[in-house]
Amino acid sequence: MTTDLGFWTLQTLNALQLSMLLFLLSIGLTVIFGLMHFVNLAHGALYALGAYIAASVASVAGFWAAIIIAPLGVALTGVLLYGGLIQRMRKSGPMAQVLVTFGLIFALLDLTRILWGDLALAMDTPALLSGQVNLLGVTYPTYRLFIILLGGVIFTALALTLARTQIGAMIRAGVDNDSMAACLGINVERLFFVVFCVGCALAGLAGAVAAPLLSVTPGMGLQILIPTLIVIVIGGLGSLKGAIAGSLIYGFVQTFGAVLAPQLASVLIYALLAAVLVIKPVGLFPAKG
Amino acid sequence: MKFTCTAALTGLASLFCTQMAAADDIDVGVLLPFSGVYAALGNEIEAGFTLGLETFGSDLDVEIVLHREDTEVTPATGLTRARRLILQDDVDVMVGIVSSGVLGAIRDIVHGAEVPLIVANAGNDEATGADCSPYITRVSFSNSQVNRPMGTWMADQGIGTVYTLAPDYAAGRQMIDAFTAAYTAAGGTVVGSDFTPFQQTQDFGPYIAQAQASGAEALYVFYAGGEAISFVNQYDSFGAAEGLPLYGSGFLTSQLYVNAEGESADGIVTALHYVPTIDSPENAAFVEAFQAANDRLPSEFAVQGYDAARALIEALSTGANDRESIATALRQVSFTGPRGLLSIDPVTNNLIQPIYVYETVTGTDGMTQTVLAELPAEADPANGCAMPSVVSN
Amino acid sequence: MFRHTPLRYAALVLLIGAALTQTFTAGYFGLEILIEILILGMLVLALDLVAGFGGMVSLCHGALMGVGAYAFVTLNVLVGLDPWLSTLAAVAVTAGIAWVIGAICARSHGIYFIMATLAFGQMGYSYIFESPLFGGDDGMGGIDRFDLTSIGLDLNDSKTFALFCLAVLIAVYLFAAAILKSGLGRSLIGVMHNEKRMKALGQNTWRVKADVFGLSGIIAGIAGVLAAQHILFISPGMLAWTVSGEALVVVILGGLGTLVGPLIGAAFFVVLKHQVSEVTSHWHLVVGVVLIAVVMSRANGIFGWIEARYGAWIDRRLTDSTRTETPEEILTDA
Repeated sequence: MTTDLGFWTLQTLNALQLSMLLFLLSIGLTVIFGLMHFVNLAHGALYALGAYIAASVASVAGFWAAIIIAPLGVALTGVLLYGGLIQRMRKSGPMAQVLVTFGLIFALLDLTRILWGDLALAMDTPALLSGQVNLLGVTYPTYRLFIILLGGVIFTALALTLARTQIGAMIRAGVDNDSMAACLGINVERLFFVVFCVGCALAGLAGAVAAPLLSVTPGMGLQILIPTLIVIVIGGLGSLKGAIAGSLIYGFVQTFGAVLAPQLASVLIYALLAAVLVIKPVGLFPAKG
Repeated sequence: MKFTCTAALTGLASLFCTQMAAADDIDVGVLLPFSGVYAALGNEIEAGFTLGLETFGSDLDVEIVLHREDTEVTPATGLTRARRLILQDDVDVMVGIVSSGVLGAIRDIVHGAEVPLIVANAGNDEATGADCSPYITRVSFSNSQVNRPMGTWMADQGIGTVYTLAPDYAAGRQMIDAFTAAYTAAGGTVVGSDFTPFQQTQDFGPYIAQAQASGAEALYVFYAGGEAISFVNQYDSFGAAEGLPLYGSGFLTSQLYVNAEGESADGIVTALHYVPTIDSPENAAFVEAFQAANDRLPSEFAVQGYDAARALIEALSTGANDRESIATALRQVSFTGPRGLLSIDPVTNNLIQPIYVYETVTGTDGMTQTVLAELPAEADPANGCAMPSVVSN
Repeated sequence: MFRHTPLRYAALVLLIGAALTQTFTAGYFGLEILIEILILGMLVLALDLVAGFGGMVSLCHGALMGVGAYAFVTLNVLVGLDPWLSTLAAVAVTAGIAWVIGAICARSHGIYFIMATLAFGQMGYSYIFESPLFGGDDGMGGIDRFDLTSIGLDLNDSKTFALFCLAVLIAVYLFAAAILKSGLGRSLIGVMHNEKRMKALGQNTWRVKADVFGLSGIIAGIAGVLAAQHILFISPGMLAWTVSGEALVVVILGGLGTLVGPLIGAAFFVVLKHQVSEVTSHWHLVVGVVLIAVVMSRANGIFGWIEARYGAWIDRRLTDSTRTETPEEILTDA
């Protein structure tokens, strides 16, 4: 094991990068859950859809167009899903929601296979973000720094929106007690719709950002679903603080686990999840007590 | 030759096909994944197999009836489908198998029921080692066959130390073990190695940093499919090529994935049993025919399917017409194909074939390969295979 | 509480009849599908017991079944223990592990319970996948079915094995129904409806949950042993969370908390999957759309829908004849 400081700086950046990618995914899922009590297991499938749309757009119009169109495309899918399915499902129990979102996972998985084929796709990093930069004494890929930065920006924007704006106050009220919020004259249904679409757009953004880093395959949504669920459950459902804390814990445990205890790398995070739930059965920072 | 039925579309149709099959027809079971993570490989092998049947089967005087079954990736499903082919469809020979797990699962029933099986991908060493069978003939590769020559070759190039990386599953470990054994025997030193959680690793960054910090002269890896693309992209983004050149098992930069990897793959040196740029008339003809039919360059998986079809037809053209005679004939098959001269090792029933060391380079349209060396064909050690002979009476 | 309504009896008789008909008329592959349904039936009964009557929606039941299979094969094939003894030990091990998981997770509710069980299931999966002792991702073979030749049964014959599995499934069903009718089962349903009240009544609620989870583990273990004997090969994929997820889908599809419904769900799901995959490799799409359609019908699964219709019909008939007997009794469990 090396004692070189640069090595540990590098690994810390790696951990941050993974954390931010997971944060983009989990924030949408956790707020949708917190507000609507809706378990959207198809969130991973929306992420995959975002990656596919981004890869297709990037091949004709470049990275920057892709990173804008993919979230919009996924948000549009969200609008369709909300109007066609989710709205009617709101009053059904959680079991029906599990079933319907499982059905969506299956359907979206095969739809991506039909539309884009079985072969893995890829997306190039833009010229501006390829290469490496020197930072804190290490050479680090620019694109990974971009992901860390993007995660930070989105986090700050969401935190400010939730804390300082009217819609943020409405969302907080809705998470706390949606029927009370409705009594106070907040149009809860519209609020749900907006939050659901923003959550979908963020999943699409995560997919688009992940595409140049990973490969775009039909199974990528299913692969990312479990890590995302672990993040939001460790952090506690429904809260921004929980999502960021869960993401950071996951990122650091995975990265440093791989370095310090490679034999345990795959079991470590599950053991941690079990431990957290034994000690705090509702996660670290749940939205409600 | 005519195809009575190219694909058994429904249960009814497959019943229909079976009834159509007269006594002198040859029923061939095709066991490939058409859904799940290996679907791309299943389709590629089938494309090669179909082309092989068209190319070589024209003057065969028996009819080939195909029974197509989807193994998915699950050993249980593969086994159920194999049993259906053997017990219900009463096939004379089976072709396919992508995942080693599925091959391990069906090995006993294939051996027990004495049905010849032409393996068109799965590379686990045991299938032609400790678990070998006179009914299992492999025309693809074995994990150690692809990696062993590269160990010697890299040591011969004067590379003194390497760091190895591979996914943590049986094939990953087998590939790296075979490489390490040959490399250390030739005088090299492996300074460190990591096995990454299989299909659960999104970020290879921590491992690449480990390898860089180890001070090794080179990195040797095995990754395939989506993981190969992620790995190559991330390796390139770290600028690791400077100071830690990347070598590997050729699946890393397979023709099937290399265009998704793009210029990130430029300069990677790997070894494999096939690349589309092998310079021979047989390969030129194959590449041209495959491109005409599928509008893309063939990968090693396509050539495996193609050669599986050719091996089958060569066996049938000796007059073999039942399970036993086909099994015997398959073991004596030898021909020069796109990969060069191929023959079946009588000791293990594995294919003996040359291995190509190649560099992936940026070509005029997309990535292409430059063959650096053709390493001579070499049989695997018996690895505990005590081949029982086909009982003939 | 759990009750056998006339409709449920009728459904059970129909299911057994269908299974017997299939046994004596189907060809090789038809029998394979039947056996797959029977074994999945055991697993979903185990899951419905905890999820439908205790509110413990588990995503580790596939892994529990896998533990049963691996324990059986390890003892029987690797250690060389007597197959019946191995079965007994494997079922005991599975039940023990299930009890511990149930006890640890008992404090969590809703999605947290789901995720906690998922964590334990995935730990088991990762461990088996990477453990050379249990064959790693290669899995293990060399399995034999029970030797019942002494009583004239050859289980290597698919037909006999199907009948054997049917007999075991019936026994498992009676076992599950007996648990639900016992004091423990009544306590469990009480805990599901109002845990605080049960606590106030002096019930040790986590103990009730853990006990039922352990009993459910017995059933999952039996399913695992039979799954190993059916396929004659085991691989870590048996423990993957997707198996648990599919089992959960089958339970909800059939009708959560009806015990009969999940059996219908199992038959429906397996047949649908095989029929569609004969036609297209895109069977996920078709199955996905069917799942969504079932949910959109707003019923508690297939059997829940049948029960609701039947209840409405009885209702109408009762009003017509102006009889005073309450129809609620039929509806309460739906």
